[in-house]
Amino acid sequence: MAKKLMKGCEAIGEAAIRAGCKLFFGYPITPQNEIPEYLSHRLPQVGGTFVQAESEVAASNMIYGAAGTGERVFTSSSSPGISLMQEAVSYLAGAELPVVIVNIMRAGPGLGGILPSQADYFQATKGGGHGDYNTLVLAPWSVQEAADLVADAFDLADYYRNPVYVLGDGLIGQMMEPVLFREDRKPLKDLPPKAWASTGWKGDRPRAVINSLYLDADTLERHNQDLQAKYATMRRDEVRWQGYGLDEDYDVLIVAYGTVARVCLTAVEELREEGVKAAILRPITLYPFPYEALRQAASKARAVLVVELSAGQMVQDVQLAVAGARPIHFHGRTGGNLVSPDEAAAKVREVLDGRSQEVRDA
Amino acid sequence: MFERRITIVVGHFGSGKTEIAVNGAVRIAEGGVPVSLIDLDVVKPYFRTREARELLCGLKVEVVAPDGENATADLPIVLPRVRTLCRDTSRKVVVDAGGDDTGARVLGSLSDVLAGQDPDLLLVLNFRRPFTPDVRSAVAMAREIEAAARLKVTGIVSNTHLMAETTADIVRDGLRMAREVADVLGVQVRAVAVEEGLGRVIAAAEGPGCEVFPLRRIVQPPFGTPRLGVPRSGPLFVLR
Repeated sequence: MAKKLMKGCEAIGEAAIRAGCKLFFGYPITPQNEIPEYLSHRLPQVGGTFVQAESEVAASNMIYGAAGTGERVFTSSSSPGISLMQEAVSYLAGAELPVVIVNIMRAGPGLGGILPSQADYFQATKGGGHGDYNTLVLAPWSVQEAADLVADAFDLADYYRNPVYVLGDGLIGQMMEPVLFREDRKPLKDLPPKAWASTGWKGDRPRAVINSLYLDADTLERHNQDLQAKYATMRRDEVRWQGYGLDEDYDVLIVAYGTVARVCLTAVEELREEGVKAAILRPITLYPFPYEALRQAASKARAVLVVELSAGQMVQDVQLAVAGARPIHFHGRTGGNLVSPDEAAAKVREVLDGRSQEVRDA
Repeated sequence: MFERRITIVVGHFGSGKTEIAVNGAVRIAEGGVPVSLIDLDVVKPYFRTREARELLCGLKVEVVAPDGENATADLPIVLPRVRTLCRDTSRKVVVDAGGDDTGARVLGSLSDVLAGQDPDLLLVLNFRRPFTPDVRSAVAMAREIEAAARLKVTGIVSNTHLMAETTADIVRDGLRMAREVADVLGVQVRAVAVEEGLGRVIAAAEGPGCEVFPLRRIVQPPFGTPRLGVPRSGPLFVLR
């Protein structure tokens, strides 16, 4: 297939279809409406089903039910809508159901605004709903990577029987870039048949009852221990990140994800031309976070700078990784404002000449 | 292009209407003619004409779009001044409509004031967009837009591109298909739009038998395509 010029939202929708997903349940919210819009056109063409639910609460419980059949299931929303889905996400994690959830983040809190944000980092990476659970979180920085990570997300969800988030700021959903869908893509993992799926009992096996209710304390504790062992495997095996300039000398290590990392890369290229040495570590998985890679990369730098479209949420994971070995600085914008390359470059200069205050209490 | 008093830019969602409308208004202003650029985009929430308001005001283009909090609202706001401008023969007007027939429906609501003004309705085509991959789908989309707008397409702008990955072949193929659409609709391809700086592409498209309209990308995110000049390291994915 020739390259297409696609909006991030369209590429996400197409990637889901190509991953074999034929079931979408969702509710409109800006800035991700083009995902349901695209799928409402495309799913009927491939024999799939598109349902606009009456709310995000309904949509998230529809994906719970549909995922129980073993089919590949998908929903998307933006920040306030994702908040409404958190009860169901906890149930999905508890019942070990594979679904892919795309959050194209907008500025909050509350209804906030429709402009880009990365302020759902805590919600996505630290559980989000009630109980002890985690979800894999993949954060693309381009339209192509958004499409690729959606494909990966379906494989990972099936492999771990766990919800997987693809987390993009509003720009990821709205910007347009060339995209190529490879016909020869191979699954990331060996995926066994879904023997656990509830597809109708024919008397030849135990009934497949899908539930997150465990009234006996010891049974529920064992279930939690199993879940924790699964999350430990994810932390061991699924860390993804990319470095830019890490093999060269650098004084400042920038940590940024999503489109902000592209802004920072533009800044780093400008800074290098004027002799200021900075490098970037871009987490691609936010859960699991690349603690060890970051610890090593930070050890080569004089200081670490975190840049985010939030008041400073990823800063806490950076602090855990760096563990006090280097000063950590932060630059963030909120409300839907973007960080500009000039702003990021200016902050790097401030870190180096002592005008920037390091983060102490995040 | 942009010779008539009112030029309305329509097309499929993501075909490049906004950039062509913005560049056209700038060109009119540079010629010393008073011009208003009407942002009627009620479809997309980002990268709208209004985001270039400051730059355009500096270039003496009046931007007619919701302001204040409403500028960043996803609400279908049509300002009262839009109807006034449609009748105001002292100024040129460029209208950036929203994508598809959905966006063109707003034009339909203005058909009573637009009909007597003989507007130019330019259809922008990018055959690299997913829902208009061929002539048949582009013609179908044009018919839907005409029905919703209650206006006929009067010309086509060939805007087939892949941003920084645009090649001369991509531009030429797009132009060829745009001509086929033009034949079906009974109009002309009025210009082929090519991003400024893609010099070799413009050179290759030269002699297409129509105007080459150099586009300056104005409404875009604050970064370029990642360059591979900076050495990369680190695992993209670790499989154990």
